[in-house]
Amino acid sequence: MRSLLYAVLVGLVGAGIVHILVLMMVPELSERDAWSRLSMASDLYRMTPLEPETGGQPVVKSVDPLFLAVACRFDIGEGMVQVKAPGKVPFWSVSIYDRNGHNIYSFNDHSATNATLDAVALTPAQMLEVRRQLPDDLDGSVFVETPIGEGIVVLRAFVPDESWRPEVSQFLRQSTCELKEL
Amino acid sequence: MLKRAVLTLIALAIAIGGGAASVWYALHIQKGAGAITIGTWTAFPDIGTPEADPYTNARVAREGVLALGRAEGLAFVAEHDSEGKPLARECVYRLEGQLPTARFWTLYAADQSLDAIETGKSRPAALQSHQVLREADNSVRIMASSRPAPGNWLLTAGSGPMYFVLTFYDTPIASSTGLSGIELPRIVRSGCDA
Repeated sequence: MRSLLYAVLVGLVGAGIVHILVLMMVPELSERDAWSRLSMASDLYRMTPLEPETGGQPVVKSVDPLFLAVACRFDIGEGMVQVKAPGKVPFWSVSIYDRNGHNIYSFNDHSATNATLDAVALTPAQMLEVRRQLPDDLDGSVFVETPIGEGIVVLRAFVPDESWRPEVSQFLRQSTCELKEL
Repeated sequence: MLKRAVLTLIALAIAIGGGAASVWYALHIQKGAGAITIGTWTAFPDIGTPEADPYTNARVAREGVLALGRAEGLAFVAEHDSEGKPLARECVYRLEGQLPTARFWTLYAADQSLDAIETGKSRPAALQSHQVLREADNSVRIMASSRPAPGNWLLTAGSGPMYFVLTFYDTPIASSTGLSGIELPRIVRSGCDA
């Protein structure tokens, strides 16, 4: 009887350890995280709609039905990444995520020059290079300095009602996500 | 010898089974670590940030969410009405009260996986702040019902459990200090289809 009690006790302690181990391993091993899902849908530096326009399963859930969103994967290790979108919509916002889906930085149209989206994500080292001599086409860009290597940038835009939908999806379709060599 | 083997087996079964089951449970309850509750509304302001706790991190990885950033907005989910009863799609609800400062907000009725309810009509199960009429004291009153209602009407449909998701965009409450002392609408059940 005492040895049974002992076995149960050892089991419970083990359960605690397993609990912590599993919890720590889920983010590392998950094949369903945003990065994996996006990499199945498209290549690096490719703006991908999160909701397919023809219906069907969304690539990554962007949740709000009054929003449309596109995302692109990048690797700053290869160089800076510039995100641009021409035109104006009622509201847009950009988030930069690291490989694990953590939101590193976000901003919206109020913090951009002329409410036009033109942002560059780069490492602190690349920032030093850019500071030394600002390339002409980065004049007026919002710089996002981040130490992450691989990451995801998501552009979301508000669709106030159905009449806005063509214009907003046009805005997102024209958005670009481009690798910039120094 | 056999006894020892059986005991080891019991210990292992409890450890692996109990450990895995407790993680599964912890990741499936809607509330949980890092939640902030205001009335019947719950938000996870830390979700998807590097400061998030391990449970939230695991949930983000498993569900593949890309959470809204602080400059974007903050989403609140309600799963009960103000009396504590679970929300049902067969019922008519009145959402009324003050809302915190934001550039705009959206409200939609969702199913269990927090996707917007399919209404089967051209009107979505969603409203946004520029579409709603306000009361004299700047509060809002919204009827959520599967049948047309006067005033502000949020279309719902079908039967089964329902959630309301209220998202504020470009709002000071998304910063950590902004959440104290804010008010969110009450959800009052005003009738159900039999």
